[in-house]
Amino acid sequence: MKSKTSFFKALSAVVWKDLVAELRGKEMLSAMMVFALLVIFIFNFALELDPKTRNALTAGIIWVTLTFSGTLGLNRSMAVEKDRGCLDGLLLAPVDRTAIYFGKSIANWVFMLITAAILLPVYSILYNTNLFSWGLVLVILLGSEGYVAVGTLLSSMSIQARTRDILLPILLFPVIIPVLIAAVKATGGFLAGETFSSLTTWIYLLIGYDVIFTSVAFMVFDAVVEE
Amino acid sequence: MKDKPKLLTVLDGVTLVTFLAATAMVFFYAPTERVMGAVQKVFYFHVAAGWVGMVSFFVAAVVGVIYLIKKSPNMDLIGIAAVEIGIIFTLINIVTGAIWARPIWNAWWTWDPRLTTATIMELVYIAYLMLRQGIDDPERRARFGAVYAIVGFLSVPLTFFSIRIFRTIHPVVIGGSDPSAVGAFDMTPKMFQTLMFSIVVFSILFIDLIWHRVRLGKFQNYLEELKIKLQV
Amino acid sequence: MEETLNTINYALAGFVVIFGSILGYIASLFIRFNNLKKDEEILSDQD
Repeated sequence: MKSKTSFFKALSAVVWKDLVAELRGKEMLSAMMVFALLVIFIFNFALELDPKTRNALTAGIIWVTLTFSGTLGLNRSMAVEKDRGCLDGLLLAPVDRTAIYFGKSIANWVFMLITAAILLPVYSILYNTNLFSWGLVLVILLGSEGYVAVGTLLSSMSIQARTRDILLPILLFPVIIPVLIAAVKATGGFLAGETFSSLTTWIYLLIGYDVIFTSVAFMVFDAVVEE
Repeated sequence: MKDKPKLLTVLDGVTLVTFLAATAMVFFYAPTERVMGAVQKVFYFHVAAGWVGMVSFFVAAVVGVIYLIKKSPNMDLIGIAAVEIGIIFTLINIVTGAIWARPIWNAWWTWDPRLTTATIMELVYIAYLMLRQGIDDPERRARFGAVYAIVGFLSVPLTFFSIRIFRTIHPVVIGGSDPSAVGAFDMTPKMFQTLMFSIVVFSILFIDLIWHRVRLGKFQNYLEELKIKLQV
Repeated sequence: MEETLNTINYALAGFVVIFGSILGYIASLFIRFNNLKKDEEILSDQD
Protein backbone atom coordinates (compact mmCIF):
# COMPACT_ATOMS: atom_id res chain seq x y z
CA MET A 1 0.00 0.00 0.00
CA LYS A 2 3.02 2.26 0.05
CA SER A 3 2.63 3.46 -3.51
CA LYS A 4 -0.98 4.43 -2.86
CA THR A 5 -0.17 6.68 0.08
CA SER A 6 2.61 8.33 -1.85
CA PHE A 7 0.20 8.97 -4.74
CA PHE A 8 -2.20 10.84 -2.48
CA LYS A 9 0.65 12.60 -0.75
CA ALA A 10 1.99 13.80 -4.08
CA LEU A 11 -1.47 14.79 -5.22
CA SER A 12 -2.28 16.81 -2.13
CA ALA A 13 1.19 18.37 -2.24
CA VAL A 14 0.55 19.64 -5.77
CA VAL A 15 -2.89 20.96 -4.82
CA TRP A 16 -1.59 22.66 -1.68
CA LYS A 17 1.34 24.18 -3.48
CA ASP A 18 -1.01 25.81 -5.99
CA LEU A 19 -3.55 26.98 -3.44
CA VAL A 20 -0.97 28.40 -1.03
CA ALA A 21 0.93 30.16 -3.83
CA GLU A 22 -2.34 31.63 -5.05
CA LEU A 23 -3.41 32.74 -1.56
CA ARG A 24 -0.12 34.54 -1.18
CA GLY A 25 -0.21 36.33 -4.53
CA LYS A 26 -3.90 36.25 -5.49
CA GLU A 27 -2.81 37.20 -9.01
CA MET A 28 -4.80 34.60 -10.84
CA LEU A 29 -8.00 34.70 -8.82
CA SER A 30 -8.20 38.47 -8.88
CA ALA A 31 -7.61 38.48 -12.64
CA MET A 32 -10.28 35.82 -13.18
CA MET A 33 -12.70 37.71 -10.96
CA VAL A 34 -12.22 41.13 -12.53
CA PHE A 35 -12.39 39.56 -15.96
CA ALA A 36 -15.64 37.77 -15.11
CA LEU A 37 -17.20 41.00 -13.84
CA LEU A 38 -16.15 42.84 -16.98
CA VAL A 39 -17.69 40.16 -19.17
CA ILE A 40 -21.01 40.52 -17.33
CA PHE A 41 -20.92 44.29 -17.78
CA ILE A 42 -20.13 43.97 -21.45
CA PHE A 43 -22.99 41.51 -21.85
CA ASN A 44 -25.31 43.90 -20.06
CA PHE A 45 -24.77 46.64 -22.59
CA ALA A 46 -24.20 44.47 -25.63
CA LEU A 47 -27.43 42.54 -25.15
CA GLU A 48 -29.50 45.18 -23.32
CA LEU A 49 -30.46 42.80 -20.58
CA ASP A 50 -33.94 43.90 -19.64
CA PRO A 51 -35.74 41.47 -17.31
CA LYS A 52 -37.61 39.66 -20.08
CA THR A 53 -34.69 38.70 -22.30
CA ARG A 54 -32.41 38.22 -19.31
CA ASN A 55 -34.17 35.17 -17.92
CA ALA A 56 -33.61 33.28 -21.15
CA LEU A 57 -30.00 34.34 -21.41
CA THR A 58 -28.73 34.01 -17.84
CA ALA A 59 -27.57 30.41 -18.20
CA GLY A 60 -25.62 31.22 -21.33
CA ILE A 61 -24.04 34.32 -19.81
CA ILE A 62 -22.93 32.45 -16.71
CA TRP A 63 -21.24 29.72 -18.74
CA VAL A 64 -19.63 32.02 -21.27
CA THR A 65 -18.21 34.07 -18.40
CA LEU A 66 -16.94 30.98 -16.60
CA THR A 67 -15.47 29.54 -19.78
CA PHE A 68 -13.55 32.68 -20.67
CA SER A 69 -12.26 33.41 -17.19
CA GLY A 70 -11.45 29.69 -16.94
CA THR A 71 -9.04 29.87 -19.88
CA LEU A 72 -7.39 32.83 -18.20
CA GLY A 73 -6.84 30.74 -15.08
CA LEU A 74 -5.70 27.62 -16.93
CA ASN A 75 -3.18 29.56 -18.98
CA ARG A 76 -1.86 31.31 -15.92
CA SER A 77 -1.57 28.24 -13.73
CA MET A 78 0.48 26.38 -16.33
CA ALA A 79 2.52 29.40 -17.41
CA VAL A 80 3.65 29.90 -13.82
CA GLU A 81 4.88 26.32 -13.63
CA LYS A 82 6.66 26.60 -16.94
CA ASP A 83 8.29 29.99 -16.41
CA ARG A 84 9.61 29.30 -12.95
CA GLY A 85 10.84 25.91 -14.05
CA CYS A 86 8.51 24.26 -11.54
CA LEU A 87 7.14 21.89 -14.12
CA ASP A 88 10.56 20.36 -14.73
CA GLY A 89 11.08 20.11 -10.99
CA LEU A 90 7.74 18.40 -10.57
CA LEU A 91 8.47 15.99 -13.38
CA LEU A 92 11.88 15.14 -11.98
CA ALA A 93 10.34 14.34 -8.62
CA PRO A 94 9.88 10.61 -8.16
CA VAL A 95 6.09 10.73 -8.11
CA ASP A 96 3.39 9.33 -10.31
CA ARG A 97 2.78 11.68 -13.25
CA THR A 98 -0.95 11.22 -12.91
CA ALA A 99 -0.72 12.62 -9.39
CA ILE A 100 0.57 15.81 -10.98
CA TYR A 101 -2.29 15.80 -13.47
CA PHE A 102 -4.95 15.31 -10.83
CA GLY A 103 -3.26 17.80 -8.51
CA LYS A 104 -3.25 20.52 -11.15
CA SER A 105 -6.81 19.67 -12.20
CA ILE A 106 -8.13 19.87 -8.67
CA ALA A 107 -6.37 23.18 -8.07
CA ASN A 108 -7.79 24.58 -11.32
CA TRP A 109 -11.20 23.23 -10.38
CA VAL A 110 -11.06 24.98 -7.01
CA PHE A 111 -10.14 28.27 -8.69
CA MET A 112 -13.04 27.95 -11.09
CA LEU A 113 -15.44 27.14 -8.29
CA ILE A 114 -14.23 30.14 -6.28
CA THR A 115 -14.82 32.34 -9.32
CA ALA A 116 -18.31 30.89 -9.71
CA ALA A 117 -19.02 31.26 -6.00
CA ILE A 118 -18.34 34.99 -6.25
CA LEU A 119 -19.76 35.51 -9.73
CA LEU A 120 -23.20 34.08 -9.00
CA PRO A 121 -24.02 36.18 -5.90
CA VAL A 122 -22.73 39.29 -7.68
CA TYR A 123 -24.95 38.49 -10.64
CA SER A 124 -27.88 38.01 -8.27
CA ILE A 125 -27.25 41.39 -6.67
CA LEU A 126 -26.76 43.21 -9.96
CA TYR A 127 -30.02 41.93 -11.38
CA ASN A 128 -31.91 41.56 -8.14
CA THR A 129 -32.76 37.90 -8.62
CA ASN A 130 -31.99 34.82 -6.61
CA LEU A 131 -30.00 32.33 -8.64
CA PHE A 132 -29.19 29.94 -5.85
CA SER A 133 -30.45 26.38 -5.97
CA TRP A 134 -28.78 23.11 -5.10
CA GLY A 135 -29.36 21.91 -8.62
CA LEU A 136 -27.36 24.83 -9.96
CA VAL A 137 -24.54 24.09 -7.55
CA LEU A 138 -24.44 20.52 -8.81
CA VAL A 139 -24.39 21.63 -12.45
CA ILE A 140 -21.56 24.05 -11.81
CA LEU A 141 -19.57 21.37 -9.97
CA LEU A 142 -20.03 18.90 -12.80
CA GLY A 143 -19.64 21.34 -15.68
CA SER A 144 -16.47 22.92 -14.39
CA GLU A 145 -15.02 19.48 -13.61
CA GLY A 146 -15.35 18.45 -17.24
CA TYR A 147 -13.95 21.80 -18.28
CA VAL A 148 -10.80 21.60 -16.16
CA ALA A 149 -10.29 17.89 -16.94
CA VAL A 150 -9.75 18.72 -20.61
CA GLY A 151 -8.42 22.21 -19.92
CA THR A 152 -5.59 21.04 -17.70
CA LEU A 153 -4.45 18.51 -20.28
CA LEU A 154 -4.63 20.92 -23.20
CA SER A 155 -3.07 23.84 -21.33
CA SER A 156 -0.07 21.69 -20.45
CA MET A 157 0.35 21.17 -24.21
CA SER A 158 -0.41 24.70 -25.38
CA ILE A 159 2.02 26.17 -22.87
CA GLN A 160 4.88 24.35 -24.56
CA ALA A 161 4.03 25.79 -27.98
CA ARG A 162 5.30 29.04 -29.47
CA THR A 163 1.84 30.57 -29.72
CA ARG A 164 0.92 29.55 -26.22
CA ASP A 165 -1.51 32.20 -25.00
CA ILE A 166 -3.73 32.26 -28.05
CA LEU A 167 -3.59 28.51 -28.58
CA LEU A 168 -5.45 27.30 -25.50
CA PRO A 169 -8.96 28.62 -26.33
CA ILE A 170 -8.59 27.40 -29.93
CA LEU A 171 -7.69 23.91 -28.74
CA LEU A 172 -10.10 23.80 -25.84
CA PHE A 173 -13.37 25.35 -27.05
CA PRO A 174 -14.26 22.99 -29.91
CA VAL A 175 -13.52 19.97 -27.74
CA ILE A 176 -15.44 21.19 -24.72
CA ILE A 177 -18.65 22.12 -26.58
CA PRO A 178 -20.60 18.99 -25.51
CA VAL A 179 -19.97 19.78 -21.84
CA LEU A 180 -20.98 23.39 -22.32
CA ILE A 181 -24.21 22.48 -24.11
CA ALA A 182 -25.25 20.12 -21.35
CA ALA A 183 -24.23 22.59 -18.64
CA VAL A 184 -26.10 25.52 -20.22
CA LYS A 185 -29.21 23.41 -20.75
CA ALA A 186 -29.21 22.10 -17.18
CA THR A 187 -28.48 25.55 -15.74
CA GLY A 188 -31.28 27.08 -17.80
CA GLY A 189 -33.65 24.39 -16.58
CA PHE A 190 -32.85 24.93 -12.91
CA LEU A 191 -33.10 28.72 -13.28
CA ALA A 192 -36.50 28.32 -14.88
CA GLY A 193 -37.57 26.39 -11.79
CA GLU A 194 -37.83 22.98 -13.43
CA THR A 195 -37.65 19.96 -11.18
CA PHE A 196 -34.58 17.83 -10.82
CA SER A 197 -36.27 14.81 -12.36
CA SER A 198 -37.05 16.66 -15.59
CA LEU A 199 -33.40 17.57 -16.02
CA THR A 200 -31.83 14.21 -15.29
CA THR A 201 -30.97 13.68 -18.97
CA TRP A 202 -28.61 16.64 -18.95
CA ILE A 203 -27.20 15.78 -15.53
CA TYR A 204 -26.45 12.23 -16.63
CA LEU A 205 -24.90 13.52 -19.82
CA LEU A 206 -22.68 15.85 -17.78
CA ILE A 207 -21.62 13.01 -15.51
CA GLY A 208 -20.92 10.82 -18.54
CA TYR A 209 -18.83 13.51 -20.24
CA ASP A 210 -16.92 14.15 -17.02
CA VAL A 211 -16.08 10.48 -16.65
CA ILE A 212 -15.04 10.12 -20.30
CA PHE A 213 -12.96 13.28 -20.48
CA THR A 214 -11.30 12.79 -17.10
CA SER A 215 -10.31 9.21 -17.80
CA VAL A 216 -8.98 9.92 -21.28
CA ALA A 217 -7.07 13.01 -20.16
CA PHE A 218 -5.58 11.02 -17.32
CA MET A 219 -4.54 8.21 -19.66
CA VAL A 220 -2.78 10.46 -22.18
CA PHE A 221 -1.27 12.99 -19.74
CA ASP A 222 1.87 10.90 -19.41
CA ALA A 223 2.54 11.42 -23.10
CA VAL A 224 2.25 15.19 -22.75
CA VAL A 225 4.78 15.66 -19.99
CA GLU A 226 7.38 13.02 -20.76
CA GLU A 227 10.74 14.33 -21.92
CA MET B 1 14.33 10.35 -52.45
CA LYS B 2 13.41 6.87 -53.49
CA ASP B 3 11.52 6.43 -56.71
CA LYS B 4 7.78 6.24 -56.80
CA PRO B 5 6.66 2.68 -56.08
CA LYS B 6 5.00 0.93 -59.00
CA LEU B 7 1.96 0.04 -56.96
CA LEU B 8 1.36 3.72 -56.25
CA THR B 9 1.43 4.53 -59.97
CA VAL B 10 -1.09 1.77 -60.55
CA LEU B 11 -3.22 3.13 -57.73
CA ASP B 12 -3.07 6.61 -59.25
CA GLY B 13 -4.39 5.20 -62.51
CA VAL B 14 -7.14 3.20 -60.82
CA THR B 15 -8.16 6.27 -58.82
CA LEU B 16 -8.36 8.47 -61.89
CA VAL B 17 -10.34 5.95 -63.96
CA THR B 18 -12.80 5.06 -61.22
CA PHE B 19 -13.24 8.70 -60.30
CA LEU B 20 -14.14 9.57 -63.88
CA ALA B 21 -16.47 6.57 -63.95
CA ALA B 22 -18.18 7.74 -60.77
CA THR B 23 -18.59 11.23 -62.19
CA ALA B 24 -20.10 9.79 -65.34
CA MET B 25 -22.43 7.64 -63.25
CA VAL B 26 -23.58 10.65 -61.27
CA PHE B 27 -24.38 12.62 -64.39
CA PHE B 28 -25.63 10.00 -66.82
CA TYR B 29 -26.58 6.82 -64.93
CA ALA B 30 -28.39 8.13 -61.87
CA PRO B 31 -31.79 9.62 -62.72
CA THR B 32 -32.45 13.27 -61.96
CA GLU B 33 -34.55 13.58 -58.85
CA ARG B 34 -38.06 14.80 -59.62
CA VAL B 35 -38.48 17.58 -57.08
CA MET B 36 -35.00 18.90 -56.39
CA GLY B 37 -33.61 18.69 -59.89
CA ALA B 38 -29.94 18.90 -60.76
CA VAL B 39 -28.64 19.97 -57.36
CA GLN B 40 -29.51 16.55 -55.96
CA LYS B 41 -26.59 15.14 -57.98
CA VAL B 42 -24.24 16.84 -55.55
CA PHE B 43 -25.59 14.46 -52.92
CA TYR B 44 -23.49 11.45 -54.03
CA PHE B 45 -20.13 13.14 -53.60
CA HIS B 46 -21.44 15.07 -50.59
CA VAL B 47 -22.04 11.83 -48.71
CA ALA B 48 -18.83 10.24 -50.03
CA ALA B 49 -16.76 13.25 -48.93
CA GLY B 50 -18.39 13.18 -45.49
CA TRP B 51 -17.54 9.49 -45.23
CA VAL B 52 -13.90 10.08 -46.15
CA GLY B 53 -13.73 12.95 -43.64
CA MET B 54 -14.96 10.74 -40.80
CA VAL B 55 -12.67 7.86 -41.81
CA SER B 56 -9.66 10.19 -41.96
CA PHE B 57 -10.20 11.52 -38.48
CA PHE B 58 -10.82 8.03 -37.18
CA VAL B 59 -7.55 6.89 -38.77
CA ALA B 60 -5.77 9.89 -37.21
CA ALA B 61 -7.07 8.94 -33.76
CA VAL B 62 -6.13 5.26 -34.19
CA VAL B 63 -2.60 5.98 -35.37
CA GLY B 64 -2.41 8.51 -32.52
CA VAL B 65 -2.98 5.70 -30.05
CA ILE B 66 -0.46 3.48 -31.83
CA TYR B 67 2.06 6.32 -31.87
CA LEU B 68 1.76 6.87 -28.13
CA ILE B 69 2.40 3.17 -27.52
CA LYS B 70 5.10 2.45 -30.09
CA LYS B 71 6.57 5.90 -30.79
CA SER B 72 7.14 5.06 -34.44
CA PRO B 73 7.56 8.20 -36.61
CA ASN B 74 5.65 6.59 -39.47
CA MET B 75 2.47 6.65 -37.42
CA ASP B 76 2.84 10.38 -37.01
CA LEU B 77 3.21 10.81 -40.77
CA ILE B 78 -0.01 8.88 -41.33
CA GLY B 79 -1.68 10.96 -38.63
CA ILE B 80 -0.89 14.35 -40.14
CA ALA B 81 -1.70 13.04 -43.62
CA ALA B 82 -5.09 11.78 -42.49
CA VAL B 83 -5.95 15.02 -40.73
CA GLU B 84 -5.03 17.16 -43.73
CA ILE B 85 -7.11 15.04 -46.08
CA GLY B 86 -9.94 14.88 -43.56
CA ILE B 87 -10.05 18.68 -43.39
CA ILE B 88 -10.27 18.96 -47.18
CA PHE B 89 -13.06 16.40 -47.49
CA THR B 90 -15.03 17.68 -44.52
CA LEU B 91 -14.84 21.11 -46.10
CA ILE B 92 -16.22 19.68 -49.34
CA ASN B 93 -18.94 18.00 -47.32
CA ILE B 94 -19.95 21.19 -45.50
CA VAL B 95 -19.81 23.51 -48.51
CA THR B 96 -21.71 21.18 -50.85
CA GLY B 97 -24.25 20.69 -48.06
CA ALA B 98 -24.73 24.45 -47.86
CA ILE B 99 -25.07 24.71 -51.63
CA TRP B 100 -27.68 21.98 -51.60
CA ALA B 101 -29.51 23.54 -48.65
CA ARG B 102 -29.88 26.97 -50.25
CA PRO B 103 -32.52 25.96 -52.82
CA ILE B 104 -34.04 23.12 -50.77
CA TRP B 105 -34.17 24.52 -47.22
CA ASN B 106 -34.08 28.10 -48.42
CA ALA B 107 -31.04 28.88 -46.28
CA TRP B 108 -27.32 28.32 -46.65
CA TRP B 109 -27.01 27.34 -43.07
CA THR B 110 -29.22 25.76 -40.43
CA TRP B 111 -28.27 24.77 -36.90
CA ASP B 112 -28.87 21.16 -37.71
CA PRO B 113 -26.95 18.63 -35.55
CA ARG B 114 -24.99 17.00 -38.36
CA LEU B 115 -24.09 20.25 -40.03
CA THR B 116 -23.06 21.83 -36.74
CA THR B 117 -21.11 18.78 -35.61
CA ALA B 118 -19.28 18.55 -38.94
CA THR B 119 -18.26 22.18 -38.65
CA ILE B 120 -17.11 21.86 -35.05
CA MET B 121 -15.16 18.78 -36.11
CA GLU B 122 -13.51 20.85 -38.84
CA LEU B 123 -12.55 23.44 -36.23
CA VAL B 124 -11.06 20.75 -33.98
CA TYR B 125 -8.71 19.63 -36.73
CA ILE B 126 -7.80 23.15 -37.80
CA ALA B 127 -6.80 23.62 -34.14
CA TYR B 128 -4.76 20.41 -34.52
CA LEU B 129 -2.79 21.96 -37.38
CA MET B 130 -2.25 25.16 -35.38
CA LEU B 131 -0.99 23.15 -32.41
CA ARG B 132 1.53 21.36 -34.59
CA GLN B 133 2.64 24.58 -36.21
CA GLY B 134 3.50 26.05 -32.82
CA ILE B 135 5.90 23.28 -31.82
CA ASP B 136 9.38 22.99 -33.28
CA ASP B 137 10.67 19.76 -31.77
CA PRO B 138 9.42 17.01 -34.13
CA GLU B 139 9.16 14.35 -31.46
CA ARG B 140 7.09 16.56 -29.18
CA ARG B 141 5.00 17.74 -32.12
CA ALA B 142 4.14 14.14 -32.94
CA ARG B 143 3.26 13.35 -29.33
CA PHE B 144 1.02 16.37 -28.88
CA GLY B 145 -0.58 15.78 -32.25
CA ALA B 146 -1.42 12.21 -31.25
CA VAL B 147 -2.91 13.34 -27.93
CA TYR B 148 -5.04 16.02 -29.54
CA ALA B 149 -6.19 13.72 -32.34
CA ILE B 150 -7.45 11.27 -29.71
CA VAL B 151 -9.17 13.85 -27.50
CA GLY B 152 -10.63 15.66 -30.51
CA PHE B 153 -12.03 12.55 -32.13
CA LEU B 154 -13.58 11.53 -28.83
CA SER B 155 -15.42 14.79 -28.46
CA VAL B 156 -17.04 14.60 -31.91
CA PRO B 157 -19.71 11.99 -31.08
CA LEU B 158 -20.34 13.69 -27.73
CA THR B 159 -20.97 16.97 -29.52
CA PHE B 160 -23.31 15.18 -31.85
CA PHE B 161 -25.31 13.61 -29.00
CA SER B 162 -25.57 16.93 -27.21
CA ILE B 163 -26.88 18.75 -30.24
CA ARG B 164 -28.99 15.81 -31.38
CA ILE B 165 -31.30 16.23 -28.44
CA PHE B 166 -32.65 19.25 -30.26
CA ARG B 167 -34.82 18.33 -33.20
CA THR B 168 -33.09 17.60 -36.46
CA ILE B 169 -34.27 18.59 -39.91
CA HIS B 170 -31.49 16.82 -41.77
CA PRO B 171 -32.96 14.29 -44.20
CA VAL B 172 -31.93 10.79 -43.18
CA VAL B 173 -31.66 9.12 -46.56
CA ILE B 174 -30.09 5.85 -45.50
CA GLY B 175 -32.17 3.93 -42.98
CA GLY B 176 -34.64 6.81 -43.11
CA SER B 177 -36.54 7.60 -39.94
CA ASP B 178 -38.47 10.79 -40.54
CA PRO B 179 -40.17 11.03 -43.95
CA SER B 180 -41.42 14.53 -43.20
CA ALA B 181 -37.93 16.05 -43.24
CA VAL B 182 -37.67 18.56 -46.07
CA GLY B 183 -35.43 17.30 -48.83
CA ALA B 184 -35.86 13.62 -48.06
CA PHE B 185 -36.33 11.43 -51.09
CA ASP B 186 -36.65 7.78 -51.99
CA MET B 187 -33.56 6.43 -53.63
CA THR B 188 -34.11 4.40 -56.75
CA PRO B 189 -31.81 1.39 -57.20
CA LYS B 190 -29.74 3.35 -59.72
CA MET B 191 -29.28 6.17 -57.25
CA PHE B 192 -28.28 3.73 -54.56
CA GLN B 193 -25.73 2.04 -56.82
CA THR B 194 -24.28 5.41 -57.76
CA LEU B 195 -24.00 6.40 -54.10
CA MET B 196 -22.27 3.16 -53.12
CA PHE B 197 -19.88 3.40 -56.04
CA SER B 198 -19.06 7.01 -55.16
CA ILE B 199 -18.24 6.00 -51.59
CA VAL B 200 -15.96 3.21 -52.81
CA VAL B 201 -14.24 5.57 -55.27
CA PHE B 202 -13.71 8.25 -52.63
CA SER B 203 -12.24 5.61 -50.34
CA ILE B 204 -9.76 4.66 -53.06
CA LEU B 205 -8.98 8.34 -53.57
CA PHE B 206 -8.41 8.63 -49.83
CA ILE B 207 -5.88 5.79 -49.80
CA ASP B 208 -4.12 7.24 -52.83
CA LEU B 209 -3.90 10.74 -51.33
CA ILE B 210 -2.75 9.50 -47.94
CA TRP B 211 -0.01 7.47 -49.57
CA HIS B 212 1.24 10.51 -51.46
CA ARG B 213 1.08 12.68 -48.35
CA VAL B 214 3.00 10.12 -46.30
CA ARG B 215 5.71 10.02 -48.95
CA LEU B 216 5.88 13.81 -48.83
CA GLY B 217 6.23 13.64 -45.05
CA LYS B 218 9.03 11.08 -45.30
CA PHE B 219 10.82 13.29 -47.80
CA GLN B 220 10.45 16.23 -45.42
CA ASN B 221 11.88 14.28 -42.50
CA TYR B 222 14.74 13.02 -44.61
CA LEU B 223 15.67 16.57 -45.60
CA GLU B 224 15.42 17.75 -41.99
CA GLU B 225 17.92 15.08 -40.98
CA LEU B 226 20.15 15.99 -43.89
CA LYS B 227 20.12 19.64 -42.81
CA ILE B 228 21.08 18.73 -39.25
CA LYS B 229 23.89 16.51 -40.53
CA LEU B 230 25.25 19.32 -42.70
CA GLN B 231 25.18 21.81 -39.87
CA VAL B 232 27.20 19.58 -37.56
CA MET C 1 -47.20 17.03 -58.11
CA GLU C 2 -44.47 19.53 -57.35
CA GLU C 3 -42.53 20.96 -60.24
CA THR C 4 -38.88 20.13 -60.62
CA LEU C 5 -36.80 23.01 -59.33
CA ASN C 6 -34.27 24.54 -61.68
CA THR C 7 -31.13 24.08 -59.64
CA ILE C 8 -28.51 23.77 -62.37
CA ASN C 9 -26.50 26.71 -61.05
CA TYR C 10 -26.34 25.26 -57.57
CA ALA C 11 -25.32 21.87 -58.95
CA LEU C 12 -22.61 23.55 -60.98
CA ALA C 13 -21.31 25.43 -57.94
CA GLY C 14 -21.31 22.20 -55.97
CA PHE C 15 -19.20 20.33 -58.47
CA VAL C 16 -16.82 23.25 -58.84
CA VAL C 17 -16.26 23.06 -55.08
CA ILE C 18 -15.76 19.28 -55.14
CA PHE C 19 -13.35 19.13 -58.07
CA GLY C 20 -11.69 22.41 -57.15
CA SER C 21 -10.89 21.30 -53.60
CA ILE C 22 -9.56 17.89 -54.61
CA LEU C 23 -7.46 19.28 -57.46
CA GLY C 24 -6.29 22.11 -55.21
CA TYR C 25 -5.07 19.62 -52.63
CA ILE C 26 -3.30 17.54 -55.26
CA ALA C 27 -1.67 20.72 -56.56
CA SER C 28 -0.52 21.61 -53.05
CA LEU C 29 1.06 18.17 -52.72
CA PHE C 30 2.83 18.72 -56.03
CA ILE C 31 4.12 22.16 -55.09
CA ARG C 32 5.36 21.00 -51.71
CA PHE C 33 7.10 18.04 -53.30
CA ASN C 34 8.84 20.22 -55.87
CA ASN C 35 9.95 22.69 -53.20
CA LEU C 36 11.46 19.83 -51.25
CA LYS C 37 13.26 18.63 -54.37
CA LYS C 38 14.77 22.08 -54.82
CA ASP C 39 15.85 22.06 -51.18
CA GLU C 40 17.42 18.68 -51.71
CA GLU C 41 19.45 19.97 -54.65
CA ILE C 42 20.69 22.94 -52.65
CA LEU C 43 21.62 20.68 -49.77
CA SER C 44 23.46 18.21 -51.98
CA ASP C 45 25.39 21.09 -53.55
CA GLN C 46 26.64 22.08 -50.12
CA ASP C 47 28.12 18.69 -49.56
